[in-house]
Amino acid sequence: MPKLTINGIEVTTAGPATILEAAKSAGIEIPHYCYHPGLSIVGQCRMCQVEVEKMPKLVTACNTSAADGMVVTTNSPKVEKARRAVLEFYLLNHPLDCPICDRGGECPLQDYTMKYGPGESRSVEPKVQRAKHVVLGPHVIFDQERCILCTRCIRFCREVPKTGELGVFARGDRSEINLFPGQMLDNAYSGNVIDICPVGALTSRQYRFQSRPWDLIRHTHSVCPLCSAGCNVVLDVRDKQSGNELLRINPRENMAVNRWWMCDEGRFTFRYHHDPDRLMLPLVKSGDQQHTSAPEAVLDSVASALAHILAAQGASSIGCIVSSRHTNEELFLVRRFFRDLLQTPHVDHRVRPVQMQASDAPEDAILRRTDKTANSHGARDLDVLPGPDGLDTAGMIEAARAGRLKALFVFDEDLAQERPDLPVADALRGLDLVVVTSLFRHATAALAHAVFPGLGFAEKEGSFTNYQGRIQKIHRALEPAGACRPVAEILGGLAGRLGKPLGVVTPEQIWTEIAAQPGPYHGIDWQMIGPEGIIPSEVRKEP
Amino acid sequence: MTETGAFEKVLTRYQTIPGYRGTLPEYEAHGGYQALHTVLGKMAPAEVVDAVKRSGLRGRGGAGFPCGMKWGFIPKDSGKPVYLVVNGDESEPGTFKDRMLIEEEPHQILEGVILSSYAIGCHLAFLYCRGEFVRGAQVLQRTIAEAYDKGYLGRNILGSGFDLDVIQHRGAGAYICGEETGLLESLEGKRGQPRPKPPFPAVSGLYRCPTVVNNVETLSNIPHILLRGPEWFTAIGPPKSTGPRLFSVSGHVARPGNYELPMSVTLRQLIFEHAGGIPGGRALKAVIPGGSSSPVLTPAHLDVTMDFDSLAAVGSMGGSGAVVVMDETTCMVRVGEIVSRFYHHESCGQCTQCREGTAWLHKVLRRIENGQGRKEDLDLLLDMCDNMKGKTICVLSDAAAMPIESYLKHFRDEFERHIRDRACPFAGAAGVRKH
Repeated sequence: MPKLTINGIEVTTAGPATILEAAKSAGIEIPHYCYHPGLSIVGQCRMCQVEVEKMPKLVTACNTSAADGMVVTTNSPKVEKARRAVLEFYLLNHPLDCPICDRGGECPLQDYTMKYGPGESRSVEPKVQRAKHVVLGPHVIFDQERCILCTRCIRFCREVPKTGELGVFARGDRSEINLFPGQMLDNAYSGNVIDICPVGALTSRQYRFQSRPWDLIRHTHSVCPLCSAGCNVVLDVRDKQSGNELLRINPRENMAVNRWWMCDEGRFTFRYHHDPDRLMLPLVKSGDQQHTSAPEAVLDSVASALAHILAAQGASSIGCIVSSRHTNEELFLVRRFFRDLLQTPHVDHRVRPVQMQASDAPEDAILRRTDKTANSHGARDLDVLPGPDGLDTAGMIEAARAGRLKALFVFDEDLAQERPDLPVADALRGLDLVVVTSLFRHATAALAHAVFPGLGFAEKEGSFTNYQGRIQKIHRALEPAGACRPVAEILGGLAGRLGKPLGVVTPEQIWTEIAAQPGPYHGIDWQMIGPEGIIPSEVRKEP
Repeated sequence: MTETGAFEKVLTRYQTIPGYRGTLPEYEAHGGYQALHTVLGKMAPAEVVDAVKRSGLRGRGGAGFPCGMKWGFIPKDSGKPVYLVVNGDESEPGTFKDRMLIEEEPHQILEGVILSSYAIGCHLAFLYCRGEFVRGAQVLQRTIAEAYDKGYLGRNILGSGFDLDVIQHRGAGAYICGEETGLLESLEGKRGQPRPKPPFPAVSGLYRCPTVVNNVETLSNIPHILLRGPEWFTAIGPPKSTGPRLFSVSGHVARPGNYELPMSVTLRQLIFEHAGGIPGGRALKAVIPGGSSSPVLTPAHLDVTMDFDSLAAVGSMGGSGAVVVMDETTCMVRVGEIVSRFYHHESCGQCTQCREGTAWLHKVLRRIENGQGRKEDLDLLLDMCDNMKGKTICVLSDAAAMPIESYLKHFRDEFERHIRDRACPFAGAAGVRKH
């Protein structure tokens, strides 16, 4: 544990560390470009040079180990001149097109230039012109003039997805980053190069020209819902005339989950929130047609149909299949409504083979996992499973076809699409009541007597439990679209109409009940679930 | 001052024999591979290292680092193979002595390689030959084959139990691959970019194994040191710059060429006695004493001896031993433009100051030479040089900055005249412009 002095402040590092890491731990900024904690160290941008007592030259803080008794200065005139020089060199051929650059406002080159750089250029030489808006792959576009050749993108592709599509070509000031011949930047994690680019050289084809950083009114912490990895994300929202719009998802550092990265699927799949084809009002079936209706009226008709079936056929004629895309709080309410209030044992969240066999596994050596729902672990923890003599998903479909089931609720699963091996359409056509929640019209929704428009994850508040068993919160970045309502409101509305109010409404209230009952989440207070999530067994181990 | 006239040539002693081509029979006929017979199996490797240390041999590639000390940095029992890499990527402008050694006396290099490998425990050595040396590469390949045939390479060399294989690798035309870690990257098949140090190659070099990188001329000295003893070697030249050195003299001299001399020779002797002085009765203006990256000297420095320390004391360096002589018709701004163009072309581009600075230096110098200079350009150049020196992974940036600083130091008036007259005063004159 080296103990050193940085700018007169005594710093003790937790273990072996570089000067840059030691300074960071003490809250001292050492500007840098090529260094990234998740990549190999090359020490070539020369921005992080600092003065170390008894060393004749400035040293690069990124690759010099902190040592006992070292006296480091990061703000001496010598350091400041060297830094100013690096920035001057960078800007010699930089287009200075900040006003039209996506990165402007959140650009380390801009920020460090303002903070440490020269106020004006001493160069009168014409700037070198290079390729603009080069398409590197499905998600990334490249501006060679803005590039400062820090090589973070190259190292990322070599070291993380290990695909190595990018390299430096030519040398000296003719050096340029480009694709190797015949390659495209199309690995499953390509979007990360946009985040780690310290300038506006690599921009997102999806987000390009959509917003300025200061137009983004919210940066909401959430968790990616597209697989069981539970990568931490930030949802960037802009207020537009047409309403709030989710424009960008970026990974959020969580060393225990996704480190600094996320996959392209998670990063770029969110526009469905604003899809004009999204269901905005409930649908009810009359005859062969579905037509839109007011939510209260649909709740009325579903509740009366349900009451009728309950009275005539009993609770065990009712089944519920609920997607593990739902939050813990939603799953808890679904279970409570069907298992405890209606008292049917036929509840299941398992739709896909990977869930049925509990065979969730890494899809690659980085982040992605084979269970493409966010919360199978939570669904298991909360026992969203068949009760005694209860039917599983396939069993419910069989029972429906055989006439033993009269009503089926399907929360956010297109069963017909997901289970082509089951006679879903036949089964659902024979039922007295089919209620579906969904964001879009799909084959299963088309068979429903009532369809409630569902919410996207950016519209929800709650928690997911990832494959590790880590409970992580998601927060609402967008108000629900149209007449879309949280599951809690739909179930609460039905429960109230059946004379059995659910009582709880907000995710925190629901969580408090979850934590109060025996089970894996017992005793885990809502406030204990911090920005990096929590694994209950790890908390309990602590004295 | 040593009497250089009495000096008996060592490395180039057979070059005056008519028809001598340095083939194996010729080399052996003149005593070649005697050191190998004397040393292998008869001297312990540590004794060889010790002899080279005591000889005071300093690297002839540019930095002048003590060779024996470099060998001594190889960790004992690292559990990894040790490699010897021969730096034959001679590319410092003005330097052409390794080329001669490669083409004319290749077995001397190879004997040095075998002895050095024996000393440091290397069983696989690499000859990195500059890509442009097409003939040199052919000669080296022939030389290696001859040595294998004769049993100087391969298994159990001369019955000593020592094994050594040698592989030649040809460069692809990059100055920076003469920098030892850039060379190692290139040898590994990667982009030729110097590595941050530490770790130094002795600890983590080729394929991250302990590695010694030695210059061609440095290694050529090894057989002689071992055969004739370190005391013989230290008797040549000044105490801290021992042994013979090849000076590549070029430019405005009557007899350009390679001159093997002790480093006690003065600049004056080298130019006026050995290289025949300046043709056409013109006056000496400037001398680059150790390759294009070394700061320039003027007639005021003619009595400096050509050893590492004396050249450092007058603000320059021994470098690669390339002496470029310029007479009064030479435009120093033009020289600066040419030198900076070279470094602009050769910067590998990884460090910001070097990538951008070499280009900027060149552009400003070109502008001044073309009559577009501004008064403030001279201080700008000096500040640029200050910003480039001592701040990068390797010293290419320093190599680009140091000469320009020295031209401005010694010939500032000439730069000012370009700016004042809005033209090069030497335009149309003889000298550098014509070459």
